[in-house]
Amino acid sequence: MEIAELQRQAGEWLSGQGPESDIVMSSRVRLARNLGGRPFLTRATDEVKTEIERTSREALLSAALAEGLLYINVMDATPIERLFLVERHLISKEHANASGQRGVALGKKERISIMVNEEDHLRLQVLCSGYQLREAWVEMATLDDKVESRLDYAFSSQFGYLTACPTNVGTGMRVSVMLHLPALVMTRQIDKVFHAVSKINLAVRGLYGEGTNSSGDFFQISNQVTLGRAEEDLIRQIEDVVPQIIKYERNVRESLFKDNPKGLEDRVWRAYGMLRFARTITSNETMELLSQVRLGVNMKIIEDLDINTVNELFILAQPAHLQMCKGKKLDSPERDVARATFIRNWLE
Amino acid sequence: MASCLEIRVICEGCNQNVATVHLTEIVKQTKKEVHLCEACAEERGVTKKAPFSISDLLGGLAEPQPAEKEEAAAPTQDCPRCGLSYADFRAHGRLGCPEDYRVFGKLLLPLLEKIHGNTQHLGRVPKRAGERVLREKELMQLREELRRAIDREEYEHAAELRDRIYRLKEPSGGNS
Repeated sequence: MEIAELQRQAGEWLSGQGPESDIVMSSRVRLARNLGGRPFLTRATDEVKTEIERTSREALLSAALAEGLLYINVMDATPIERLFLVERHLISKEHANASGQRGVALGKKERISIMVNEEDHLRLQVLCSGYQLREAWVEMATLDDKVESRLDYAFSSQFGYLTACPTNVGTGMRVSVMLHLPALVMTRQIDKVFHAVSKINLAVRGLYGEGTNSSGDFFQISNQVTLGRAEEDLIRQIEDVVPQIIKYERNVRESLFKDNPKGLEDRVWRAYGMLRFARTITSNETMELLSQVRLGVNMKIIEDLDINTVNELFILAQPAHLQMCKGKKLDSPERDVARATFIRNWLE
Repeated sequence: MASCLEIRVICEGCNQNVATVHLTEIVKQTKKEVHLCEACAEERGVTKKAPFSISDLLGGLAEPQPAEKEEAAAPTQDCPRCGLSYADFRAHGRLGCPEDYRVFGKLLLPLLEKIHGNTQHLGRVPKRAGERVLREKELMQLREELRRAIDREEYEHAAELRDRIYRLKEPSGGNS
């Protein structure tokens, strides 16, 4: 177990270095894969789960997938460690709360991660900073080839890659971009985006995917269809709408500034002030204020703050991260104090 | 523009609300149209309000259409591999093993069509399965050619084809 090591770094996707990263926080591609000749996990006994986990782990560790590949046994991890992995977008909530043998393999920069025994035997993920869907896909295709050279996937020429849920069958691919849209939220125009996006069969979700609320004005847009369209086609579907949403958000940001520059500046600086001086602060308030600060940095209202400093705080100020940092379990009021202290130090 | 052209029909039950449920009843060879609002339709038992969940959606979508119901009733056996029944799948929305796609294939098709608008995979193929698919295709072509050669009594060519088929079947241990 080397989860503690992760705590000293932040995932590369938070660096704010990718294209359009003032609005696109990250681009993600994930593939669902299952091993042939074995039941899916809902019908698997503990012995079968153990066998699948062992077979997959050995294959992943021997396949030279990434420099310094780390494998974490999620079953043996503590509840806080599991939540810590969820907060970093390395495993899903379902994976954290499941039962039986399961794990996650991840690359040093946290660009790639592979959940073992989630809803499907394998869930491969490539997560990049900014708007880089093509790059993420190229990397994913190589990763998938390497894994496949060690493991036999369940595949049918009619239905493609076979998955536990029929909503994932075919390519098994979910492509998503995480967008930061504070100006559209502020001006109540975000519903228009939702409406347009859902009309063309794409899904909009919150910061932590399925079933989560949007937090910090982050929204994930992803494909719903996985069968009958090739991977490049699914990427193109997302690429057809993302530039328009980016443009929309940028236009609204500009007109907000033009209409009332002092009003917007005041909003941003107040948020920054609260974060810098608060003595106790909840997770929700932190997300809201950070969103304003992120907007301020990207609009050059705040100039002495790096974007990666802000991006990383969205993750580092979350409950499990704070508790890992303190090295002990904290109740909610204790966490709020620890959070305020952590943020003050971080922004100093 | 469209809204100007819309014809609003008033509910025949309460004579108040706009009718959103339109029924065609056939009684003694006479066709009769009935227009109701949602509340009246529910009262008359035409529609049923129910909580909405993913498995309901899956269940509802996967329900065979009346025409295929009889035909579909017979093959609904449990999966011999994982023991999953089609009812289990409908209740939970998850399949039990890769084999289920074959066992319940016929029942899954309308569901996949609804979810994806498609029932045939396009895109990546695992390299190993890819080789097998290609080999099967070539075998089919050679067999067809062999049949034609025999029909035309070209026995020398037929022998050549037979050897090629034999060689192609070899790598998978004679599995065709």
